[in-house]
Amino acid sequence: MKILLLGMSHRSAPVEVREHYAADDSSTESALQMLTRHSEIGEVVLISTCNRVEVVVTTENPNEAAARLMSFFREELAGGVSAPGGGSLEDYVYQYADQEAVGHVFRVASSIDSMVVGEPQILGQMKDAYRSSVEIGSCGPILSRLFQKAFATAKRVKNETRIAQRPVSVARVAVDLARQIFEELSDKKALMIGAGEMIEAALFALQREGLEGLRVANRTRARAEELAERFGASAHGLEDLDEVLKDSDIVLSCIGGTGYVLDTARISKALAARRNHSIFLIDIGVPRNIDPAINELDSAYLYDIDNLQEIAFSNEEERRRESAGAEEIVLEEQERLAGWMVSLRAVPTIRHLRARAEAVRQAELRRVMSKLDLRDGQAERVEALTRSIVNKILHRPLARLGAHKDRDEGLAVVEEARALFGLDDPEAPGAEIDAEMTDEKSVPESIDNSEGDEDDGSE
Amino acid sequence: MTEFQQAAAAIYLAAGISALLGLALPAPRLTSISVWGVGLGALVHGAAFATLHTLDPVPQLSDLPYAISFMAWIGVCSLLILMWRLRLASLTAAVGPLAFLAVFLPSLGFQTAGGAGLMPSEGAVSHAHVLLSSAGLGLLGIAGLSGVFYLLEHRRLKQKILGGRRMNLPSLEALDRVNVSSLIVGLPLLTLGLITGSVWVHATTGAYWSGSPHAIWTLVGWGIYTGMFLARFVGGQGARQAAASAVGGFVFLLFAVVGVEILR
Repeated sequence: MKILLLGMSHRSAPVEVREHYAADDSSTESALQMLTRHSEIGEVVLISTCNRVEVVVTTENPNEAAARLMSFFREELAGGVSAPGGGSLEDYVYQYADQEAVGHVFRVASSIDSMVVGEPQILGQMKDAYRSSVEIGSCGPILSRLFQKAFATAKRVKNETRIAQRPVSVARVAVDLARQIFEELSDKKALMIGAGEMIEAALFALQREGLEGLRVANRTRARAEELAERFGASAHGLEDLDEVLKDSDIVLSCIGGTGYVLDTARISKALAARRNHSIFLIDIGVPRNIDPAINELDSAYLYDIDNLQEIAFSNEEERRRESAGAEEIVLEEQERLAGWMVSLRAVPTIRHLRARAEAVRQAELRRVMSKLDLRDGQAERVEALTRSIVNKILHRPLARLGAHKDRDEGLAVVEEARALFGLDDPEAPGAEIDAEMTDEKSVPESIDNSEGDEDDGSE
Repeated sequence: MTEFQQAAAAIYLAAGISALLGLALPAPRLTSISVWGVGLGALVHGAAFATLHTLDPVPQLSDLPYAISFMAWIGVCSLLILMWRLRLASLTAAVGPLAFLAVFLPSLGFQTAGGAGLMPSEGAVSHAHVLLSSAGLGLLGIAGLSGVFYLLEHRRLKQKILGGRRMNLPSLEALDRVNVSSLIVGLPLLTLGLITGSVWVHATTGAYWSGSPHAIWTLVGWGIYTGMFLARFVGGQGARQAAASAVGGFVFLLFAVVGVEILR
């Protein structure tokens, strides 16, 4: 059984192509059910986010499965409509098999492959995709194992590297800066100057941080009231600024118009009124709303949009540097999963070899027994003798098949054993037993037992 | 130096190195380990004081090495208490090495000119003077230390040197709270130390004022801290000036109390 992954992401396709092939929640279920109806496809997980559409499957026939998945992209996801821009689907789709597919899933879950390296949303989206597949029944033991390992790998990457430590969005950078000035944000008061989308996003971010003392000040008081009501904030006109500044610890401004809304004299007055307690000012307005000279005041810390973006960029660079360490973890986990993948091939081979040997033993025994005139108990002794001979002959090969430390070596041993004992030869002695084993080959019994306790139980 | 003191010094040093590495790499786990290290060091250090009476001859706490060691112990303990509520773990990068020096250096043999403090140190008043003054100095030392960190963090925030790999220093508010708390508790302790010192001088010489360099410099230091206290709580002085004052004040006081003694 092989693992195959076909997909497109921000690395391979522009947004208009990605959105063309995106699967929404309502279509995911039918898509998964449709795919599992095809004999060349075993298990399926479909991941569809704004930055990627990927299908992971297990298959005995990778070529046929790949063709089926291309058709799935073309007919089911795009509804038979060609990709915008005139490019063919093959230009945008990448394909990975086995270890490459495993590594890719691990990298995606660990957010190394994300547009913003280290962003946490992808892990949640992958967990949702995995959960949907489990509920629909399209995810079996192999992909279950793969995704559990991917979640555990993502956890290791998060804990053992700094890939997700520094914020990379302007809003998160501002909150991070506020935490460097203030010990607790929940007991602080924040004043928003303006009532546009940026202010709304900032109110949302600050409310999520537990800030309760929110105020909105705007030229048009009615708009301030409308926004304030939605966030449980108080509304003010700009004429109230001096009053509300006195006990505002965080001030974020994004308001239109020329000239500074806040100048040095105004902030100096506010600082005196608040006994020089620190005030954090964020100016994301263009043109700027706050006089840059305010940063010269001892207790005022002023950041404009360029400052915040510079920090965000620098943090992103740091995350990219950290992704080298994350790659090492991915490789390590990939190796561990590879060992388990070898067992998927080894266990059926062991069972097959045992069954073949037993079939030969019994056939030979039947043939000889019919010619011998054995006394009571002698037949049992001969039976025991043949079983013992077979067991002793098979002991070393079976032990070797079971002791696979290295993936490549393990697979080589399995293939060698199959060739040596003619397990794929229908003319070989004992081959008549093969028909009874077909079902057992496809579902190895070791799946539920191997390495299960190493998972972090994230799902 | 007793075995407990040696162990405490070693633990403080290890904790300090761990914290410094935690800051430089940066590796938050090493910083967390350093907090536990400093806590363990404080326990062993406390055990060193608790077992002093078993030594022969029993050392006097008013001996300068022991007074400095006690000052460091109070500083470490008060910082650990403050850490309970505030994110101050990275301060161990300075507290660990300083506590190590405070325990280890006196053992190298530097003593006051008289070898055992200013005056004969028998009696409760002399011990009260040394304990109160050392405790006050320990706390004001923590205020000074938090001041150094405050100035560093303030500079970084003002100059916007913040992206990428940077050290995790405590927030400005946390550092300022350390400064305020240490001043509020440390100054009264120092005041009580001065009063008991005066009583001690009176019991020895019959006058409340010795006029020694130690007394003069310490009184000036106390005056500086009283001025700082008033500027902060009456005059509404800002946190940055308070931090700078705490650093300057402690350097002066350390010279007044310890430096003058060594130079005598």
